[in-house]
Amino acid sequence: MKREVCTGCSLLCDDIIVRSDGLFIDEIYGACLKGKEHFDQVISPNRIVKPMIRKEGKLISTSWDEALNKTIELIKESKDPIFYGFSTVTSEAQLKGLELARIASGYIDSNSSICHGQVLDVAKKTGISLTTLSEIINKADLIILWGANAAESIPRLLGKIVFSRGKFRMTGREIKTLIIIDPVKTASFNVMGVRDIALRIEPGKDFELIKMLKEECCTENSIPEKGIAGIDKSDLKRLLVQLTNAEYGVIILGQGILQANQKLNVIEELLELVEMINNKQERGRISLMTMGGHSNMVGFDQMTLTFYGKRGSIKFENGNPIDSDDNIISKITRDNFDLMFVVGSDPIAHFPKALSSKIAKKPLIVIDNKKSATTMVADVVLPSSITGIESGGLMFRLDMTPINVKPIIKPPSNVLSDQEILEKLIEKFKGGGK
Amino acid sequence: MELYKYLPKTNCKKCGKPTCMAFALDLLQGKAKIDDCPPLLQPKYKKQYEQLKELLGSEEGKEKELRINVDPDLCDGCGICVTVCPVNARYCQPTLSGKAPDYPPDDHQLFQVKKGKCELLSIQHCRRVEAEGRERECRVCETYCPREAIKIEYV
Repeated sequence: MKREVCTGCSLLCDDIIVRSDGLFIDEIYGACLKGKEHFDQVISPNRIVKPMIRKEGKLISTSWDEALNKTIELIKESKDPIFYGFSTVTSEAQLKGLELARIASGYIDSNSSICHGQVLDVAKKTGISLTTLSEIINKADLIILWGANAAESIPRLLGKIVFSRGKFRMTGREIKTLIIIDPVKTASFNVMGVRDIALRIEPGKDFELIKMLKEECCTENSIPEKGIAGIDKSDLKRLLVQLTNAEYGVIILGQGILQANQKLNVIEELLELVEMINNKQERGRISLMTMGGHSNMVGFDQMTLTFYGKRGSIKFENGNPIDSDDNIISKITRDNFDLMFVVGSDPIAHFPKALSSKIAKKPLIVIDNKKSATTMVADVVLPSSITGIESGGLMFRLDMTPINVKPIIKPPSNVLSDQEILEKLIEKFKGGGK
Repeated sequence: MELYKYLPKTNCKKCGKPTCMAFALDLLQGKAKIDDCPPLLQPKYKKQYEQLKELLGSEEGKEKELRINVDPDLCDGCGICVTVCPVNARYCQPTLSGKAPDYPPDDHQLFQVKKGKCELLSIQHCRRVEAEGRERECRVCETYCPREAIKIEYV
């Protein structure tokens, strides 16, 4: 039976069996609960099927032409628009989004900038050793979850990397050592075996732990008797033995370490530690993998890096990207924008109230397939088909592997894909001139 | 042999068996009951009788029916049980790389994930039913379920 790709999260499982007659989805085998909910969006009562415009304080249905014209009008009026989101759409749509931001002289950013894009930013200075999922499955014998609760955020990740039986790891779970570094006892701790190490680190102490590990790599016996950051000396020694003796180790970075105090320093130190171990190690190596949540979060970084040489956070002026240290948060905090164009994201619900109230005051255009807090306060709502179910394209998995996603069923009539909507907007924008 | 220790060891043949040892064997296999031994019912052996009953009570537990319960409220369909189950792994090649097994499922397959929830297909090929020796004590799916949704019970 044909296997489909699930675009519910960044793992992009390519082994989902979907029984469908081309109109509706009947049965889904192999997908986790998160994926099943993603497929259920097709018939969700929250689905938006008609373009909407705010008139006299109320959102009312309208025609595509009117909605698109209103959008163009708003973008042309605006001097400093923000284009935000793009982490759940295909890379083709992301490219169109970049093009629209370029001709509208706006600022464009994706969810990645407040998530795993930071790792790539730091990696510019230190370098980074990345890995892919299949290498982990076939080779890895050490898996470290650092501040990542894989069991709950990406349910199938642990099954794929820790429990799977790879080519050189035929015994599966028995040969793979799992180390979890987390201040909270999460659901991921339940899969621990006898040889695994659970490190309950004190919150915000990652920096001290990494510093100490770096020191111990240079001069032996520098572990303090009391241990460090709430971890025993014996556990630290076991951690070091595992790190320096692993044949193929992987450190999976989760939100926990990204949102730590002095966060950029922590990631820089960690990347340096990995580099140090790899130089010291004779037979093995340690690689890194970031655990982003959204299905094509990595894709936006790849697209901007390929076409504009910068990872996310691009400000365009006169059709060229210019140098700016702004990120999406600083931009909104300083009120340095007069329009927000959101594609497949929900900043009103997910940002802190101080930021979301600022967004709500400005004109807001949303492309999304379902009702959310953002569509409720939006001025223009453009309905899109669901990426991966009703429209296809290129998407990037969390290990930066490109995967071609094909549509399974047809979208509702009168609903366009994100790519088509952005294409029409670009056409209309160019047609009118500015 | 532990059963034999508690019997009167008089070889009185009142139970219809030639020796107390033979009676102990029958007890173990469930062919005879404790009450079949008349001397045991005498007040003299009351303590041994009670101890035997306790022993057999736990032995009888093994004869109870095996149940693997998957709590649908807790399960999030991560598929770890599908990948990790030794029986699934032995017969379904795709599980080798952590992939979801084929549909329709193989006869031997114990678990499958349908609509985001784990489903128990059949337990007749479970190691607890089929295997011998230590493998019979298999609790792999229960141990590694991150949501603690799987419970192995004897009812």
